[in-house]
Amino acid sequence: MPVRKPDDFDAFWDGVLRQAASVPLEPELIPDPLRTSEDVEVFHAFYTSIDHVRVAAWYCRPARRAERAPAIVFLPGYQMDPPIPKEWARKGYLALSVAPRGKLRSMRQFNPGYPNLLTHNIVDRHSYTYRGFYVDTWRAIDLLLSRPEVDATRIGVTGSSQGGGLTITTAAMRREVRAAAAGAPYLCGYMDAIELTHTYPYEEINDYLRLHPESRRAVETTVAYFDGTNFADRIACPIIVNIGLQDNVCPPETGRELFDRIGSKDKQLYPYDGHGHDAGRVKHNPVIDRFFAKHLLGQSA
Amino acid sequence: MTATFRTYWQETLEELARYPASPEVDVLPLRSTPFATLYGVRLTSLGPYRLFGYLSIPAGAGPFPAIYYAPKYQSVLEIIPQGTANPQRSRYITFSLASRGQRNADSPYAAMFPGLLTDGIDSPASYVFRGIVADSVRGLEFLTTRRELDPARVVVAGNDLALITAALAKRATHVVATPALFYKTAELALKTSAYPLEEINDYFRLHPARAAAVRDTLAYYDLRAFAPDVSATTLLMAGARGSTLDGAALGELVAATKGAVTVYESEQSSYKDGLYAEQWMASQCGITDVRSILPEHWR
Repeated sequence: MPVRKPDDFDAFWDGVLRQAASVPLEPELIPDPLRTSEDVEVFHAFYTSIDHVRVAAWYCRPARRAERAPAIVFLPGYQMDPPIPKEWARKGYLALSVAPRGKLRSMRQFNPGYPNLLTHNIVDRHSYTYRGFYVDTWRAIDLLLSRPEVDATRIGVTGSSQGGGLTITTAAMRREVRAAAAGAPYLCGYMDAIELTHTYPYEEINDYLRLHPESRRAVETTVAYFDGTNFADRIACPIIVNIGLQDNVCPPETGRELFDRIGSKDKQLYPYDGHGHDAGRVKHNPVIDRFFAKHLLGQSA
Repeated sequence: MTATFRTYWQETLEELARYPASPEVDVLPLRSTPFATLYGVRLTSLGPYRLFGYLSIPAGAGPFPAIYYAPKYQSVLEIIPQGTANPQRSRYITFSLASRGQRNADSPYAAMFPGLLTDGIDSPASYVFRGIVADSVRGLEFLTTRRELDPARVVVAGNDLALITAALAKRATHVVATPALFYKTAELALKTSAYPLEEINDYFRLHPARAAAVRDTLAYYDLRAFAPDVSATTLLMAGARGSTLDGAALGELVAATKGAVTVYESEQSSYKDGLYAEQWMASQCGITDVRSILPEHWR
């Protein structure tokens, strides 16, 4: 079934962004000597997001860099503890790894837990988990823009699984994103996904509907506002998407529909047969490296 | 295996035994299905420390084979691992445990990731993994008290903790283990800059004077020392050929393990690797129609 876009989709998100804009960012970086090495400086980063939730991140800088350097935002998987993005820094990028609300280090004010986060307030778009969660990832761009060493014209975003879905929504909502690489995108085609697969995390929704069958329409209404597929037409930057054709977590069918709906003319899909939720990661990582090197470092293939 | 190694773990198990598990088992209707009931379980471990786990019992008479998902190296506790078909719960009892520090067992101690691997590592007595290993043993002890369980078909699955638990608790008939933390740790950390082993490098960098003490602690956790006590039939999930923990690198572990060992080298595909492990467990447990409990895209 094609993902239906609500008529007031843009108006809803415009309203959310207005609310978020009224909250001061209050960025803060704290050096972490334990994680800092000769080649990479590591910081605990913090900023404030919508609903005044304080969000944590890891920020890594190449020890040797130009006065202004390109930056990458790394967005986490559903269950992943956000990693320290040293490897991106070693490749020459300023790198920010975000822990949206509910993640470890960002759970003091909001903590529905895992499993549960996917269905927390899922009958109400105004308080659904991902309203704030999405804004947290979009505000990560503001944190980068607050840093004098970041070249604002060379910001990329990447992640896989939930990180892939968040890459889609961030590239759609922040025009500062100049290149995006999304893997095995989650949060795309929610209602199809729960029919196509019976694995967690999507299975959380089936659990919820089994216990609350009367809420199905409300759930469908809510997730339509958060479905990455409905954000895709806003994406204008170069983007690559990789999917595994045997993906047991994020069905490849939903990834294909998402890709078809992406607005950018500069887009490419990498389907990997014989691969599950890894979406061909080992083969695809060099593709991602070349993609960002071209668009952010200005290196030719 | 040195005498101090045996003494250390014997004393740990004796200390654990002084605390009754005192389980509380509550039905969780949200995660229960027509084919399996899910329970939240609270139980006590060494410390004392109260733990949490998810226990799933298939509908029907049983006895059933069981999979014990030993604590992972992450903050999140899963009911069954992400990507596993929920119908797995129709054929196996499953039990997943949050050790101290993980979500649902993060009070009073909340672990950091990264960070847990070096917490208290200066001394075997203070190392946080002494408690975590005890937690994992306690989890297997609890699982095997369930009357629905077939004691001849108990799989422990996980990372290094799966092997360690099987060695110490003796109640596993099968092990599926993916070594990641405690095999030649200090030596292999030097060959990588990836977490979690990078935690060791970070620690050595900031505290070079403590390196000898850290190596001493890690000796109590090296899988090679536990292997002679692992009599369960074991599937070792190795890294891809040429990687730090590939089949060749695990040779010493294989040689030291008491029970039969199959080594599977990763094909760098979560589909191929996952399918192999699911089929292996099913064949070992006498489940002939494994296809019915695989994820849809793997059938």
